[in-house]
Amino acid sequence: MPKHIVRLLMLIGGALALGLAAKWYFTDPSFYRYGFYRADSVAEIAAQGPAFKTARYCESCHAERLAQWSAANHKTVTCETCHGAAQDHPQKKAKLPIPADAVKLCTLCHEAIAGRPRAQPQVVVAQHAGAQQCVACHNPHAPKLAGVVAKVSGDVAAGGKKHAASCASCHGANAISPNDTWPNLAGQNAAYLVRILAAYKSGAQTDVMMSPMAKTLSDAEIQDLAAYYAGLSCKAPPGAPAAGDAAAGKLLAKNCAGCHGETGVTRNAAWPHIAGQKSVYLANTLKAFRAGLRKDPMMAGVARGLSDADIANLAAFYAAQSCGPATETRKTQ
Amino acid sequence: MKGERISSLVARRAFLRKIGGAAAAAGAVAATGIPGVMRKAAAKSEPAATQESFPTPDYDWTKHRWAFGVDATKCIGCLRCVEACKRENHVPLDAHHFNTWVERYVYLEGENRARVDSQADPVNIAASGSQGEYRFANRYQDAHVEKAFFVPKLCNQCTYPPCVQVCPTGATYKGKDGVVLIDQSYCIGCRYCVHACPYGARWFNEARGVTQKCYWCYHRITKGMQPACVEVCPVGARIFGDRNDKQSPISLFIHNNRVQVLKPETGNEPNVFYVGIDKEVR
Repeated sequence: MPKHIVRLLMLIGGALALGLAAKWYFTDPSFYRYGFYRADSVAEIAAQGPAFKTARYCESCHAERLAQWSAANHKTVTCETCHGAAQDHPQKKAKLPIPADAVKLCTLCHEAIAGRPRAQPQVVVAQHAGAQQCVACHNPHAPKLAGVVAKVSGDVAAGGKKHAASCASCHGANAISPNDTWPNLAGQNAAYLVRILAAYKSGAQTDVMMSPMAKTLSDAEIQDLAAYYAGLSCKAPPGAPAAGDAAAGKLLAKNCAGCHGETGVTRNAAWPHIAGQKSVYLANTLKAFRAGLRKDPMMAGVARGLSDADIANLAAFYAAQSCGPATETRKTQ
Repeated sequence: MKGERISSLVARRAFLRKIGGAAAAAGAVAATGIPGVMRKAAAKSEPAATQESFPTPDYDWTKHRWAFGVDATKCIGCLRCVEACKRENHVPLDAHHFNTWVERYVYLEGENRARVDSQADPVNIAASGSQGEYRFANRYQDAHVEKAFFVPKLCNQCTYPPCVQVCPTGATYKGKDGVVLIDQSYCIGCRYCVHACPYGARWFNEARGVTQKCYWCYHRITKGMQPACVEVCPVGARIFGDRNDKQSPISLFIHNNRVQVLKPETGNEPNVFYVGIDKEVR
């Protein structure tokens, strides 16, 4: 073989050997172990720390909250869906955010928009609760409100007798109160009456007049009375002119409409009708909620921001409303 | 003429001599680095099977076959999954980079084709208030909507992934448990894979110079957790599990529903199974 060819082949062989040696040297030891990739990278990816820690992690400190949440209808929404990734909480991040703007957060799921499945509870935001924050009425950990509707199975005739014997002297023979300070009972939601009388009886709610009266009532009598009042006509003679401005009250009432209806006739039996109710009674009740004398998680939040003038205006507005439609809705129930 | 030939011969010899010198020098350099080479050799000759379960002591990737389900009839388009994914996987908080995203298909009365938008649509960004938050705007409230639905999308972890086929460096590969992973230290940022994916599941991280995509939260599933999007979904529209386990959520989902995959004609055999989508979804 000519000399120059031998030299050339040696040179090519040397370059090849050098190339192979370089490849052997520079290739990661784990490359080719399972295929054309670096096997160690699998372990590296698997070693990353998770940011979202799951509800079980939250439970170790917040067991009470978790118990309430896991029993209610938001149980499919995990802690971190609303509060964000737990990650370094509580070691580095002492507090996870409690969403400041509940409307913005809640409407992500509950605003009525095209494409959302029908089973998803949705509201038209502009018509639902005005500028009110969702959490004023709904507990975010147990948001359903209808759970508090009491069962009513009373005897109307027995209730009528009991009314005449014990209640009529203050609340009026037809359960239409003779003055502006005591409430009308005629046409009121029976479930609401049961709940409120039971609260007076148990002491959960107190009133100088009502507490001793309610303590003498048996559970059956409470049921009878509620059934009797619910069946009466709420038509009442107009009371004395109210102190507040009904027009101003109408604007404020938008915040109440979500629960009590636009004119104070509610659709949920757990809540009272307030249309055509006595104005002084309404004002006193709101003030009692504001002061914390009457305890209700929803009303406490709503009444907190009201001034005396606001309360007077609201009372004037609702006192002037017709309680009429209430009879119709009750029939359909 | 002859003089010219001789001079070119001389030049060639000089060149060859230089090359020989360079080879010798390289050999000498390699020889001085012998301890390093020995260490390398020791690392390479280590038996690969010392570790019984791979990649972690608690997780053996030969024992799992992961799959993902999407029930579009349940999705409410709240985008909690998109936000959670970004936080979990350090995806840039802007409107252009997503491991997973949600599309909205809206058929208006009298129109034959769906109007499609996602959380990255300018109208939806305006409704959310920033690029770091996500919300579907109520943009069809005054229109006559005939039909509308949401479709979450993510990497399909195809059985025959075209992205892996085109990667020149072995930076992306399909693991034995079915997840297509990216070795970010081997990615050279050529973006062949971004173009090869028929689903648009891959995106390029300009800041880091590497390609990223959904990997079913591999760091979570290897620890026995669910992917972050599945974890935060409030309505159970995302289903994840092991197909080797016949009682896992995904096995039951596939068993109990008529499922379909996106673009079956590509032959990629995707592993994300959909329920409740129609032909416009690809």
